[in-house]
Amino acid sequence: MSMEADRTRADLMFAAVKNQLRVSLLSVKYNMMREMVNKVTFVTNIIFMMLNNATILVQWIILFHLREEVGGYTLKEIMLLWGMTAASYGLSHILFARVFFLPELVISGKLDAYLVQPKSVLLGIMTSATDISAIGDFLYGLLVIGIFGHQGRGLYLFPLFLITGTVIFTAFALLMGSLSFWFVRMDMLGRQMMLGMVSFATYPDGIFKGVSRFLLYFIIPVGMAVYHPVHLMIRFDKGMLFTVLGYALLLGTVSVAVFYRGLRRYASSSLMEARM
Amino acid sequence: MRKYAVIYRSVCMENLQYAANIVMGFASYFVFIFIFIMLWNYIYQMPGEVIAGYTKEQMIWYVMMTEMIWFASNSASVAGSVTTDIRGGNIAYLMNKPYHYTLYILTKYTGEWSIRLPMYALLAAAAGIGMVGAVPGFPISRLPLMILCVILGITVNAVFLICIGLLSFWIEDATPFRWLYDKLILVVGTIFPIEIFPEALQPFFKLTPIYTVCYGPAKLIVDFSDSKCVEILLAQVLYLAAGCGLMFYTYRKGVRKLYVNGG
Repeated sequence: MSMEADRTRADLMFAAVKNQLRVSLLSVKYNMMREMVNKVTFVTNIIFMMLNNATILVQWIILFHLREEVGGYTLKEIMLLWGMTAASYGLSHILFARVFFLPELVISGKLDAYLVQPKSVLLGIMTSATDISAIGDFLYGLLVIGIFGHQGRGLYLFPLFLITGTVIFTAFALLMGSLSFWFVRMDMLGRQMMLGMVSFATYPDGIFKGVSRFLLYFIIPVGMAVYHPVHLMIRFDKGMLFTVLGYALLLGTVSVAVFYRGLRRYASSSLMEARM
Repeated sequence: MRKYAVIYRSVCMENLQYAANIVMGFASYFVFIFIFIMLWNYIYQMPGEVIAGYTKEQMIWYVMMTEMIWFASNSASVAGSVTTDIRGGNIAYLMNKPYHYTLYILTKYTGEWSIRLPMYALLAAAAGIGMVGAVPGFPISRLPLMILCVILGITVNAVFLICIGLLSFWIEDATPFRWLYDKLILVVGTIFPIEIFPEALQPFFKLTPIYTVCYGPAKLIVDFSDSKCVEILLAQVLYLAAGCGLMFYTYRKGVRKLYVNGG
């Protein structure tokens, strides 16, 4: 009897998770369809973002013309950094773009529409917008990894690190954004931290020393999202792999907990709005 | 002219209210500068080494100055407001006002950077002196010429960004074109001085806005010479005239395509 009840409970939970995933994927699908109304703008955004990312290659060609390696990285390894950053950043902005604007929703009291929905509030918010130019980032990342990822176990490990990178980028944005429930000016600080994370992620960690290196691994988690995964793709290390996985899990859990703790402090602005 | 002066004054007053937000933006500037100081410290391995005619101190000052112009000018705001006005239909209200729309945007933008630039300049000067020391042989008497060059550079950049924003009359969202323009200015003129590129490419870069927008002003600050100053100022005036001509022409052509869907 008890085993049967357990099985029924597990089935219900599984069905609820499946249902939530379906709703989230549908939300992303409809975001895309909304953006695709103007096809020229949609395609231009994606192609130009890829070109935009590609122009930075000039910088590295110049730098490698001056030195054979920069911070212990060759051009191939720099491209892996770029591929990893662009793909993770892109995927987090395709699936969970709204999380990067969470402070705006909290400060202006625009969360009401999500609170009354029968599904997960957090996933409802996160998947309610898609940044179309991020598709360009994502495709550029895949292209770069496809070309330069054939070293070590690069290609096999990439899908796993794409997921951990996306989780870390999203969770960090969620954590920063959730602080807006307590502090008013967190939108500016959160934006600066995210910008800092992306800026650092595209330069080799070998050029940073001392305190800055510590900050990059533990405060702005670019080390766990990008540097360690790239090191692992070149030279595999089981301990480092578990560190990355554990960190992604921990940051994800903490950010979700902080969000729901902060949500208790949320005050509505009584704004009437409809979500299409 | 008086109406533009009123717009300029009101935008300045408005931006002064948000001075705290500008100060928060200093963090991003520090991140970029920090990365480049680390990068150049790594690239310059021997004391006194010269790369493309620049010592390490000059190279770091060059990047600090170009990034100062970049951050203070906040180019996203000028092209972004034109694109938003055209996409959202606000242009229909603004084009009937007793001013020229493009000059209104240019004046508004000038008001914005007039508050940001002095703040970033003070920050950059303090950070530069603190981290790498004063610019070697800095001619203080030529400071007004350098400031003029920086102002003209920002204005030339704004005029070209308005031209890019006006493309929204045809393609709805011109933002992707701004990304490319910004990235070219960033990679070719901001991160590196033109001299670091292969000699065959340098004359070509001198013909692009990069020479007048960021390379010219920063070059004068780190390595001033009278002849270079005249050359850069002349190029800026020519670019400003050509850019304004292009801006008025694009606007005139664009508004003919405008149609409004009620509202």
